[in-house]
Amino acid sequence: MKARILLILAAAAFLFGATAYAHHSFSAVYNVKDMIKLEGNLVQFVFRNPHSFVFIEAPDQEGKMQRWSLEWGGAAQLAGQGVQQRTLNVGDHVIITGQPSRAPGEYRVLLKTLKRPSDGFAWGTKQGETFD
Amino acid sequence: MAIILIAIMVLAAPAFAQVDFSGEWSVKNHEDCLTNSCQPPLGDYLGTPLNAAGRQRAETTAESIWGIPEYQCRPHSPAHQWRGVGGARFQKEIDPITRELTAYHIQWWRSLDRVIYLDGRPHPPAWAPHTWTGFSTGKWVGNTLVVTTTHLKDGYLKRSGPQTSDMFTMTEYFTRHGDLLVTTEIIDDPIYLEEPFIQSTTHQLNINTQLRLEPCTTSFDENGGSDPHFVPHYLPGKNPFLKEWLEEHKWIPEAAAKGGAQTTYPEYRLALNDATRPSYRPVNLSKSAVDVRKAVTAESPGDGEVHVMPVQGNVYMLVVDGSNVAVSIGPEGALLVDTGSARMADKLLSTVRQLLTTTTAPAPNKCVGSTCPTIPWGWSSPFIDSIVASTAAPRPIRYIFNTSAAPEHVGGNEKIAFAGTYPGRTGAMIIAHENVLNRMSAPTGKEAPTSDKAWPTDTYHRDFFKLSDWFNGEPIIAYHEPNAYSDGDSIVFFRHSEVINAGEILSTVSYPVIDVAKGGSINGVINGLNHILDVAVAETRSQGGTWIIPGHGRLCDVGDVASYRNMLVMIRDRVQDMIKGGMTLDQVRAAKPSMDFDGRYGSETGPWTTNMFVEAVYQSLKKL
Repeated sequence: MKARILLILAAAAFLFGATAYAHHSFSAVYNVKDMIKLEGNLVQFVFRNPHSFVFIEAPDQEGKMQRWSLEWGGAAQLAGQGVQQRTLNVGDHVIITGQPSRAPGEYRVLLKTLKRPSDGFAWGTKQGETFD
Repeated sequence: MAIILIAIMVLAAPAFAQVDFSGEWSVKNHEDCLTNSCQPPLGDYLGTPLNAAGRQRAETTAESIWGIPEYQCRPHSPAHQWRGVGGARFQKEIDPITRELTAYHIQWWRSLDRVIYLDGRPHPPAWAPHTWTGFSTGKWVGNTLVVTTTHLKDGYLKRSGPQTSDMFTMTEYFTRHGDLLVTTEIIDDPIYLEEPFIQSTTHQLNINTQLRLEPCTTSFDENGGSDPHFVPHYLPGKNPFLKEWLEEHKWIPEAAAKGGAQTTYPEYRLALNDATRPSYRPVNLSKSAVDVRKAVTAESPGDGEVHVMPVQGNVYMLVVDGSNVAVSIGPEGALLVDTGSARMADKLLSTVRQLLTTTTAPAPNKCVGSTCPTIPWGWSSPFIDSIVASTAAPRPIRYIFNTSAAPEHVGGNEKIAFAGTYPGRTGAMIIAHENVLNRMSAPTGKEAPTSDKAWPTDTYHRDFFKLSDWFNGEPIIAYHEPNAYSDGDSIVFFRHSEVINAGEILSTVSYPVIDVAKGGSINGVINGLNHILDVAVAETRSQGGTWIIPGHGRLCDVGDVASYRNMLVMIRDRVQDMIKGGMTLDQVRAAKPSMDFDGRYGSETGPWTTNMFVEAVYQSLKKL
């Protein structure tokens, strides 16, 4: 039984390992010492490798509505955490937290947690719900 | 016995002193990382011989530039590529007849195929495109393969800041020690480095892996917001994150962290201590082998000649004494986009006619005897006509598009047009935006700046103009780019050949010329480049696909246009910020808002100096 678990883990690492690498550095793109919270409606969900993106419309600090780009894990890595193509849908009202971009003028966030109050769906709140 | 021994030695020795690099290699370590692939933190330029321009470029570059559509899938820059995750694969290309090794092909996880030619071929002309991997040739020195690479696009020296210009060259040494491969690179980029930069990476042969492909598709801008052409960057002196890493490494002197050639030598330690500083003597630095002025000029030589560069489909790029002309050659004749300067008209016409004869020359006979297709009676007699034949008269020049009224683009109009013909007309049709005609002509009774025989015969005033019929088998469309170089700019798109002539809004040899008095503006140029980026599609990973012919300089693609656009946005935003701060033109000039690009695109002399460019940017922004 133990051998079978190890085999499954090895196979999973083989399948998903190569897609887990970031094509850019998170710590260089995002201010990892900062955290912001946004609440808005989902307008686009791109479930793909190497990273997925969630786009929501939410107000910025001045109250102006913006299209925010939320960087998420790769499809393979998220699939291992139970997230699928139709887990999120256009129109979903979500509350997210994340680390904002370092670059001025960008509306871009590294997603840390996501909650959908309508049905209680949450990601990033349980151990292991991270990505690289 | 001695003869036998000599014979064994001679026959047993390989024909060439070559080591085999083929196989899959995993990154083992390098100077910046002793375990695997990693990158320095923001602002860490330790051991990097940055010059002042290179430092400013590093400090103003935002890592999230990776999120713009044109950069999301670009391969790693060669300076970093060896250190990227995923390892490398070497494959051999063998001549099937002689069985000689003629080339190595190298692939990385995030890359295109990189070829290293070993067959002695020369490097392409300077007006040929630059690519992410460049053009590489190799020679054996003992058991080490020495590789010389030119024609590289701009990119990054290291992740998180330091950049490379598109003028850099690279010399690499590949040495194999058993199952270890050491690649040593000398990166020579005088635009951003005080002296050539040397680094090495060690790989280990890995027989238990197969190199995979990084999945990457670009379908949107990752940067958020409402501007699809957003270019993230920091204004000079306003990047707040550069010293963040030093807070965790307080023992590192800030001056050394800023890089520079002297900081890379052991002697520099003397300069950091009050007691030893008097005895510090800077070392003599190595000189770059790249002559930037010569290299830039070579992309667009003002040599009084016409150089032919076949591009794609029907289209050729003609490098005409410093200005580019696009020409479509096909069974319906020739269509030119721009006509060069007046003094080059005869040579241009001669070249176009030579190209036209390629469409009327007899095709080579590929039919022998009864195997000929379409000959029901089984004999090749009809094909004898293609052997006993002569070249028919060239097809005519039918159309000319003018991308602007710049003299180096309309100077040959009269001669070229009247050497051509269009049914029902005398001479070829000349098409341009109506403001080109306005600039070239004058109201009745007033003296025009150009001969009426050179004027556009057909003008348009809306967003675009398309030929009513396909020409040489494809649609050809001119798009107006308002207030760019002037108020009459067009780009011309060959929709099947996938080639765009950009006219004056793109140059690889200078900053864009902006004639503010004639309606030009920096924002118009940027908008025009953005439009090209919207229309053009890279073949893969921001390279190839739609080719873009600049008004001056080498043939470009999406990656090149994006880099040029990025530069102009950065300079525009800097000048805008200075204007917002109340600075006068003289103060803006003194602040050198284009300093980190001047070595590449600037000029102190000539018809378009850096000062003139900065003034044009300033004036066009002040008008807003």
